[in-house]
Amino acid sequence: MKRVVLLLGVVCVFAFGTLQGEEKDVYIVGVDAAFPPFTWVEQGEFRGFDVEVIQAIADLEGFAVEFRDLPWATIITALAQAKIDLIASGLTVTCERDRVIDFSSPYWEVDQAVLVREDSDLNAITAFNGTTVGAQAGTTGYQWIEDNLVAQGVDIDLRAYETYDMAIRDLENGRIAAVLCDTDTAQGFVDAGRRVKIVGIVKTGEQYAYAVTAGDPYGLLPRINAGLRSLYQSGAWAELVARYFPGRPVGPVPLKRTTTCE
Amino acid sequence: MSGLESLIKELLWFWRGTLVTVEVLGGVMGLGLALGLSGAVLQVYGPPPLPALVTGLERLLRGVPPIVLLLLVFYLPWAPPPLVVAIVALGLCSGAYQSQIFRAAIQSIDRRQTEAARALGMSAPQAILHVILPQALRRAIGPWSNEFSSQIKDTSLAYIVGVVEILRQARYVISYTYGNSLLVYGFCALIYFLLTRAGNAALYRLEARLWVPGCERRLLKRRV
Repeated sequence: MKRVVLLLGVVCVFAFGTLQGEEKDVYIVGVDAAFPPFTWVEQGEFRGFDVEVIQAIADLEGFAVEFRDLPWATIITALAQAKIDLIASGLTVTCERDRVIDFSSPYWEVDQAVLVREDSDLNAITAFNGTTVGAQAGTTGYQWIEDNLVAQGVDIDLRAYETYDMAIRDLENGRIAAVLCDTDTAQGFVDAGRRVKIVGIVKTGEQYAYAVTAGDPYGLLPRINAGLRSLYQSGAWAELVARYFPGRPVGPVPLKRTTTCE
Repeated sequence: MSGLESLIKELLWFWRGTLVTVEVLGGVMGLGLALGLSGAVLQVYGPPPLPALVTGLERLLRGVPPIVLLLLVFYLPWAPPPLVVAIVALGLCSGAYQSQIFRAAIQSIDRRQTEAARALGMSAPQAILHVILPQALRRAIGPWSNEFSSQIKDTSLAYIVGVVEILRQARYVISYTYGNSLLVYGFCALIYFLLTRAGNAALYRLEARLWVPGCERRLLKRRV
C-alpha cells in the first residue's frame, strides 16, 4: 500500500511539473531517426539534413535544442499534445496535420518516385495497372495512391507497410510490382545498391516544413523562419544542400507555401 | 558499406541498447513484483472490499494490450522521461500477471498451516509473513521465470514511446544503410535469446538453492 501512495505522489509531481513558462531553456526536437538523409542515428549520434539545419537555426537564433527519437506512429500526436516542442523530420505539410499542429514556412520540395525491380519491364504507367503496389502506411505516397488510383476505380491492389525498407524487400522479392515513395528516399535506396530502379516521378509538389504545437506556445515559428532566411543569405544553406544532396539545384528558402487549407 | 561492417561499427550502441533493455526489464519486473505481491496478498487476505477491488483492477490490466497501455501512459498529462513511461506502463501490466502467479502460489500452501500457526499464537500477519510467504515465494519462482521470459520480449514495445532499446537501435542501422534487415534482426534475436537464457538460468539456480529438503521439488535434477 505504501508503494501505491508513493507512486501516486510521483504521478502528482510529474503532473504539476508540466506547468509551462514563457520560454524554455531547452526545446525538445522530435525526429523519427529512421528517415535518411533527413534524420538518422549513427553510432548514437543524431545526424542528417534536418538535424543540422535545426541546430544551425538554434545557434543563430540563440536557443538550445535537444533531439529525441520518436517513431513515425507517435510523433505527430506527441507534438500536438506538447510532449515535444518541435518536429524536424522531413514532415510534409498537409491539411490534416495542419489542424492539430502549426507549420513553419516550407524549406524543401519533393515528389513521389515510382520504384520497380531492377530487371522489370514495367514503366510508370504499366506499374500501376492491374498490379499490386506498396507504400509505407501514413505517408503521403500511400495517401496519393489511395486518393488518385484506388478511389478512382483503377484496378490496383495497395499494400501498407510499416517501413519503406519492408516494402522495398517485397519489391526485390517480386511480391509487389512497384513502390511509391518520396524522391530523396527512393534515390537513397538506389544509391545503397538495392535491386530497384526509379522509372518515373509523380509530380506532387509536396513541401516539407518544421512544425510546433498548435498555437506556437513559445513563439518559435518566427525564429525558425528568420533562421532559414539567414541560413540562405549566409550561404550555409547551399553548403548543407550540396553535402546531403549532391547535384541538387539550390533555391532560396523559406519557400512559399502551396498547400492551402480552410 | 556491408551490413556486417555497420553491425561491427554499431556494436557499442547495441550494447547500450541492451543495457537500456535490461534497465526497462529491471524496472518492470521490480514494479510488477511490488504490485503483484501486494495485490496477491490483498486478493487472498484483504478485508472486503479490497479483494474485489484488486481483482477488478487485475482483470482490467490483463485485458488491455501492453502497447495500448504504453500509449495511454505516454499521453497522460505528465512529462517524465520515456524510460519512466515504459516502466510504469509495462510494470502495471506485469503486476497484474504477477499477482496471479503469487495468488496461486499462496493458495497452493495448505490452509491448515495457517490454522496451525494461529494455534501456536501467531497473529494473522505473522502467519502470512513467516509461514505462508516463505513457502509460496519459493513455489512462485518457476512461473515467475515464465513471466520474466515474456516481459523481456515485451520491452521491445517501449520503442513506441521513444525508448532506444535493442530493437530501435536495430531500426537505426537498417534505415541508414537502406537494408540488411535479415542480418540486423537476426542479431537482435540472438541478443534477446541470450538475455532470456541467462535470466532463466539464474532463476533456476536460485530455485535450486532455495529448495528446502523435504518439500516438493519442481525440477527433478538441477537444470541450468
